[in-house]
Amino acid sequence: MNKAVILLGGVLAAGVLNTGLRAQPPRTIWDGVYTEAQAKRGEAVYFNTCVRCHGPQLMGGNDGAGPLIGPTFNGNWNGVPLGQMVDRMRATMPQDKPSTLTRQQTADVLTYILSVNKVPAGKTELPRQVDILNTITFKASK
Amino acid sequence: MKRATSRSAFVFLVFAAAVASAALGVSGQSGAPARATAPVHGTFVASTKNGDWPSYTGDTRGTRYSPLDQITAENFNDLEVAWRFKTDSLGTRAEYKLEGTPLVIKGVLYTTAGTRRSVIALDAVTGELLWVHRYPEGARGANAPRQLSGRGLAYWTDGRGDDRIIYFTPGYRMIALDAKTGQPVKSFGKDGVVDLKVGVVFGNNQQIDLETGEIGIHSTPVVVKNVVLVGSSMKEGMTVTTHNNTKGLARAFDARTGKLLWTFNTIPRPGEFGNETWLDNSWAINGNAGVWTQMSVDEELGLVYLPVETPTSDFYGGKRPGNNLFGESLVCVDLATGKRKWHFQFVHHPLWNDDMSSAPLIADVTIDGKPRKVVAVPSKQAWLWVFDRVTGEPIWPIVEKPVPKGDVPGEWYSPTQPHPPDALMYGRNTVTKDDLIDFTPELHAQALKQLERYRWNPGVVYTPPMVGNVSGLLGAINIGHINGGTNWPGGGYDPETRTVFVHANTSSVTSGSVAPPPPGFSDIPYQDGVVGEQFRLRQAAGTGTYADVPQRGRGAAVPAPAGRGAPPAAEAGRGGQQGRGGGEGGGGLTVQGLSILKPPYSVLAAIDLDKGAVKWRTPHGETPDAVRNHALLKGKDIPRTGQPASVGLVITKTLVVLGESQFTTTDTHPRGAMLRAYDKATGKEVGAVFMPAPQSASPMTYMANGKQYIVVAVSGGPYSGEYIAFALPNEGQ
Repeated sequence: MNKAVILLGGVLAAGVLNTGLRAQPPRTIWDGVYTEAQAKRGEAVYFNTCVRCHGPQLMGGNDGAGPLIGPTFNGNWNGVPLGQMVDRMRATMPQDKPSTLTRQQTADVLTYILSVNKVPAGKTELPRQVDILNTITFKASK
Repeated sequence: MKRATSRSAFVFLVFAAAVASAALGVSGQSGAPARATAPVHGTFVASTKNGDWPSYTGDTRGTRYSPLDQITAENFNDLEVAWRFKTDSLGTRAEYKLEGTPLVIKGVLYTTAGTRRSVIALDAVTGELLWVHRYPEGARGANAPRQLSGRGLAYWTDGRGDDRIIYFTPGYRMIALDAKTGQPVKSFGKDGVVDLKVGVVFGNNQQIDLETGEIGIHSTPVVVKNVVLVGSSMKEGMTVTTHNNTKGLARAFDARTGKLLWTFNTIPRPGEFGNETWLDNSWAINGNAGVWTQMSVDEELGLVYLPVETPTSDFYGGKRPGNNLFGESLVCVDLATGKRKWHFQFVHHPLWNDDMSSAPLIADVTIDGKPRKVVAVPSKQAWLWVFDRVTGEPIWPIVEKPVPKGDVPGEWYSPTQPHPPDALMYGRNTVTKDDLIDFTPELHAQALKQLERYRWNPGVVYTPPMVGNVSGLLGAINIGHINGGTNWPGGGYDPETRTVFVHANTSSVTSGSVAPPPPGFSDIPYQDGVVGEQFRLRQAAGTGTYADVPQRGRGAAVPAPAGRGAPPAAEAGRGGQQGRGGGEGGGGLTVQGLSILKPPYSVLAAIDLDKGAVKWRTPHGETPDAVRNHALLKGKDIPRTGQPASVGLVITKTLVVLGESQFTTTDTHPRGAMLRAYDKATGKEVGAVFMPAPQSASPMTYMANGKQYIVVAVSGGPYSGEYIAFALPNEGQ
């Protein structure tokens, strides 16, 4: 119960309730779903945690660490709801310590990846709640 | 509706099991279906001939063959999902790499699943959960070098009603369960459990720690007669803290009692055959050489075939001068005693991570008019190695050829390596100019330009790793090692047409480079890496995902895994990984985001084992979206490329069936992957059905209630593990 209250409080504080829970048409990553400030936060997490395997240019490694940019990345994730992406990231990444990033950090990292992929930022932050993220779809192109 | 009911029961079971902290069998409590009765005894023999699938590879001969013939070329496209089983709740988090191949015995399906590696029994007709077993291992499981839910389990019966399921936990225990109830068999080991870490050693025969000692396994037990065969697997060997880690071994245990019968040391001790191949007594300070993939057995001859992997470490062997038997060897031992009969070493003084990856295939063939008993082994090098399985003599000549010598300080090199005939190369194991990307002249030119940054010996299979440097040559070009050719899914053998079917990754080009690890990390002076790049710890897939590994935001069940050898924290910096990585136009071994090699990226091959020659090869898998939709390839007609991976297959009376390894979205299907069927005789694709995610384990087939089923595990990307059963629709539907 307490947790629910805290969570709701967090949601309200982040202003997500107004943007994420309102009925609206299906959105894609091209609809301005994150902010530049959030991507900046994500960049810091990326260069602390993810860079070792995925590289400074997000190109991945030749041994299984997939690229996070370009056609292969787009092919891997095209059509996937962001909640599913974030769930997968949290469950298996970083590979040496899965499930150690918070949901907020995971969402932030995702926005950094979007920004490097030249997906434009918008005015509201990408929420961290999986069910809301699942209303936004990764599309390789507009 | 049925599915909803099943899931509810399942949730209850998991909850109840959590409370009980022990195996929970509920078969019969809620009215087990009539068809899920206990195996018939007396004359009953579980066999693919009877429509069962009683062993990981169908039988203990590695074949993956079943004579079932209800599903054919004509009706394959009519297959429907008969049932599905999601594995998320078998553990504290979902698993995204489900690698299990179930067994089916008399209408009951048994398999492992979930991040705790639970064991489940399902009604093979409906998919209804009959029982679930879980064995929480806490820190021991969290420390395991091989986590994930494993490849499956084994079945044993005394033929008189004592039927058992035997499996390995992530923490390297062997547990025997009553097949009817899922309850541990009290008379096996200690209350159903044998601690496999007991008797496992490092160094000069020092027992490893039972809690933190490094050993585990993904592959399944092999049960033959009353013997259970047990392999061994250590951490990934690319970046390790010491060369003196756990020593590999294969063992046999009594299936009734769990008592140890024999042990075979893959690193021979003084007085044992091959000890002298470890110069300077280096046997005493080196480890690994595990037996991590599936063993095979000729029950009639009483011979076991052990596929042995690389000794420590994968790419640097300066601490283990000599040929290092039985690293990267096939070893034939006596089933009754474990005594060596013969061996063949595929790579001397291993430096390329050419683990024996595949279950050996036991085959009776006719060569030059004479019946021959052979054993055939698919490999990462995409050679099929074929031997007389009694004597170990190669059936077709295997020639020792000179190979380039490397220049890594302190390394020891073998001047030659064995090469089977070209006719038995079914994938791609060298890189020549003709293998490079040629969609356009510009892409080809760019590939050649990029390769100037590497040590590249076109046409050579074994170019040793070098000390790569971001300011100079980045590494040595190889293909058909690490993830090339055929990996753990292995191949299969069709006894009717005496043909080996095997899938091979033909695009796993790598840059072999070693560099000094960070100070204090290891007693090995060179490890996987490039001078000037940030050091990176390489771990097995699934590491850190075991159910009892703490998760942020949840109650920690156990302490974090022991930090022995944890690498220094990543430096906040942006250097490195410019040369060896993927690269979307930025260099390395991809060109504009495309493989530096031209298609095919993988092939399904058929090899005539009477003749020792490839019969046909066909690219397997839809062209990846990244290629089909690539901006530079718009308007180009690109034939199907196949997908870069090694996947497993099942062989039936007329078909070879295997799934795709990647998601694609095409004009003919939404985002997902296809399960494809090929004509055994011609390699022509005869059917394909849609799966919501890629195949992540070898499929299997069985007969239940008059219907043939194909079950395959799918997972990957955002899709967590699920078993899916396909069958033909009922008539009139």
